[in-house]
Amino acid sequence: MRALIVLLLLSSAAWAQIRVVARPGKSALVDFRIVFLTGAAYDPPEKPGLANLTATLLSEGSTRELSHKQLVDAMFPMAAAVTSQVDKEMITFYGSTDVQNLERYYTLFRTMLLNPGWREDDLRRVKDQAINYLRVSLRGANEEELAKEVLYQTIFDGRPYGRTNVGSISALEKMTIGDLRRFYELQFTQQNLIIGIGGGYPQGFADRVKKDFEVLPKGAPTSRPMATAKSPGILQAVLVEKPTRSVAISMGTTLDVKRGDPDFPALLVTQSYFGQHRASGGRLYDRMRELRGLNYGDYAYIEYFPRGMFRFEPEPNLARQQQIFQIWIRPVPPETAHFSMRLALFEFDKLIRDGMSQEAFERTRSFLNKNINLLIKTKQAELGYAIDSLYYGIPEYSTYVKSALAKLTVKDVNEAIRRNLRATDLRIVAVAQNCEDLKKKLSTNPLSTMTYNSPKPEDVVEEDKIIERFRIDIKPESIQIVPVESLFE
Amino acid sequence: MMRLLSLVLLCCGATLFAATPTEKAFPFPYTQEELPNGLRLVTIPTGFPNIVALYIVVQTGSRNEVEEGKSGYAHLFEHLMFRGTPRFPAEKYQALVKTAGGDQNAYTSADITVYHITFSKEDLDTMLMLEADRFQNLKYSPEIFKTETLAVLGEYNKNVADPNQKLFETLAETAFARHPYKHTTMGFLKDIQAMPEQYEYGIEFFNRYYKPEYTTIIVAGDINKAAVKTAVGRYWGKWQRGKYRPDIPAEPPQEKPATAQIAWPTATLPQLAVAFKAPAYSDRDPDWAALNLISYLGFAENSDLYQKLVVQEQKVDSLGGFLSPSPDPYLFTILARIKKPTDIRYVQDQTLATLQKFSDVLVERKQLDTVKEHLRYGYSLSLDNTQAVAAAAARALRGQRDLDTVDRLYALYAKITPEDVQKAAKKYLVDKNRTIVTLTGGK
Repeated sequence: MRALIVLLLLSSAAWAQIRVVARPGKSALVDFRIVFLTGAAYDPPEKPGLANLTATLLSEGSTRELSHKQLVDAMFPMAAAVTSQVDKEMITFYGSTDVQNLERYYTLFRTMLLNPGWREDDLRRVKDQAINYLRVSLRGANEEELAKEVLYQTIFDGRPYGRTNVGSISALEKMTIGDLRRFYELQFTQQNLIIGIGGGYPQGFADRVKKDFEVLPKGAPTSRPMATAKSPGILQAVLVEKPTRSVAISMGTTLDVKRGDPDFPALLVTQSYFGQHRASGGRLYDRMRELRGLNYGDYAYIEYFPRGMFRFEPEPNLARQQQIFQIWIRPVPPETAHFSMRLALFEFDKLIRDGMSQEAFERTRSFLNKNINLLIKTKQAELGYAIDSLYYGIPEYSTYVKSALAKLTVKDVNEAIRRNLRATDLRIVAVAQNCEDLKKKLSTNPLSTMTYNSPKPEDVVEEDKIIERFRIDIKPESIQIVPVESLFE
Repeated sequence: MMRLLSLVLLCCGATLFAATPTEKAFPFPYTQEELPNGLRLVTIPTGFPNIVALYIVVQTGSRNEVEEGKSGYAHLFEHLMFRGTPRFPAEKYQALVKTAGGDQNAYTSADITVYHITFSKEDLDTMLMLEADRFQNLKYSPEIFKTETLAVLGEYNKNVADPNQKLFETLAETAFARHPYKHTTMGFLKDIQAMPEQYEYGIEFFNRYYKPEYTTIIVAGDINKAAVKTAVGRYWGKWQRGKYRPDIPAEPPQEKPATAQIAWPTATLPQLAVAFKAPAYSDRDPDWAALNLISYLGFAENSDLYQKLVVQEQKVDSLGGFLSPSPDPYLFTILARIKKPTDIRYVQDQTLATLQKFSDVLVERKQLDTVKEHLRYGYSLSLDNTQAVAAAAARALRGQRDLDTVDRLYALYAKITPEDVQKAAKKYLVDKNRTIVTLTGGK
């Protein structure tokens, strides 16, 4: 009932009040998490990257009164900063300060968000930064994140979720201060605002912050661009041609389950069992890395998890209307790429057919029940998860997960797996050299015989005989080869 | 930090510090003790409820890889430690960690290897028992060893896409002639590729360093110190000391400046590394602390050079100075990513001129105080949960196994004068100590 009420409040068109999530505590730190319910999904179609550029200009630019240098000089002694994070539906500004510096820090934070400087030289700098991120950091230096971004682009092609948050190079080059100001005026409204504040702030402070932000326009009710992508119902592949030593692989499909939906807790258990992020003991990790030494790790996801190669825990405030189910295979040598894809799909197929055992279910449930406390160990995380719960219309995340887990059975999980996941309906993305060769393998299914540097147990040898023949049925016309230089242009 | 510490004292009834909390950079009432076998135990009640972080720090890293052709073994061992014991084979070990909801991982640096797990307080005894078992009874077959070397190669493969990796590798190899800091923690590719045939050497490496006299256990969080001590004594007390003492070759003094150029095969932005031989970390001698202050004074976001190159001229999109707290002399390094290849020389000249100024002119005291304040607040802001506190403690044990070094270092910073800064610059930031590496991209 409570969840329903929150959901109604959040989606109500009449809602124009700023919402405040307050988590006071006895800490010597004060944490701010200011979230606007807008983001890259609201970029005008011809201006992908506008939301991200606007947020970056606010957090790394200047204010009406203070130049960038003056702002940095004021922040530096406090070792403080305001950081922005942009996703499809949320723009987050966050930062923390020692309570001794609260007034100084908050004054800067507030001014940065409410009185931006809109200077041309700041725009030039953050624009270069965004373009270099796409061209150099993503396209040039991080094949794993690249494969994930291309996967999302492919799945949501032509829809508001189908463009990377940072945008495209040609659109970024054309963006003007006027574009950014218009986006700010339209989207940075009281209607869209959730203020998160936690830690050792004085009494009455949260009310003061709320009042200060009431200078923002109230904002008209925003129509939410629907994300709903349809799955193709078949296997498709996008191969990114790039000179590279190894092959980075991600595969996935739309998932019509998000937090608050009946099948979410069951799929959370599935994700953890099949491929808990950056942990040993997941099924994929055990079969691919531990047993066969194919790569550095293999994981599964039911929610967006960017920058996973740099992080052990997900960042909050990446809430979305539609998620994907994703398998991440860390780089494999070219000669085992086809076998690795076969093995991942074999395991995925097995998961759908056989489900989880009672023992695996109990163990995974116990893990999630306790591990959830570790996810929410900082005030920033506590605020972030609470804001996400508001978005999804659910109780506090740990309460939501724990109470759902208590009622869950292995039968529920296995039924949810069969209801929501399909091994024959996936997009596969690989960043590789000599994509034509990989295309040929994927469309003709030749034997991919494995040899190892040490003898394997009999059951693995037997299983390999099945996997080396495991059919990945992709028609040649469903395989697209894309040169890396063409991406995000 | 006053309120946090009061809370800690209230919760734990601990009153170990006589000094006022504002004088302590590490604000938690920790205890350090040594077991008869040489194992160190650091207990840190943090005041944050329910959670416990167990960090096990082994005093070995790529610095200890002294033999030719044997780079990367400290890191390989970090992997092998997850391969089980006769009592708890890998699957059983993992099942117990999973059931406890443990958040577990490990990392290797040049100087230490750290195994860490964070969990709910009721599982502390089980975790201490499990970890004690794998440190004392690790056992794996040659086949498992070979398979794990492939996972290490996989790690190398995923890193190799990043030009930074190549830049650091080349910088180390160019700057050092003898000391193992010559190679990165991953090791040379040829050594990683040869690992599968080195089963015996792997065991030897383990027997050298996985001993109590090289190990410190940090238990932080919602803990009872006495109970922790009893459990550690029970599970870890019988672990036998080893005999091995490493003979790490000293780096001879550099005679003249060195340079290297990297041609990156694909399109990327040019990168510049300007490095100088720096002193080993010390919390007593002012040189290391003074140089670390220079890395902020000269190259932090509010510095003149950053503002000039990144904000005004916009020729550079990232700039920073770095000094590692290494137990042996390592490098003071400035890194810049430059937007156009034609500006590399200009950025290099500007960097060197900025450094030269620290030798020529005394820094203003006010500027120096601002950096000291920044460091102090930066440190305290980072200690916002039990896992972060334990991780910070582990990092502090990189040289000596003594957490008191944190407070000593911040006390030393407080005393550093403009004259100390100038003296350190004149001594270390000189041409013959210098290595410059540039990386430029292809089409």
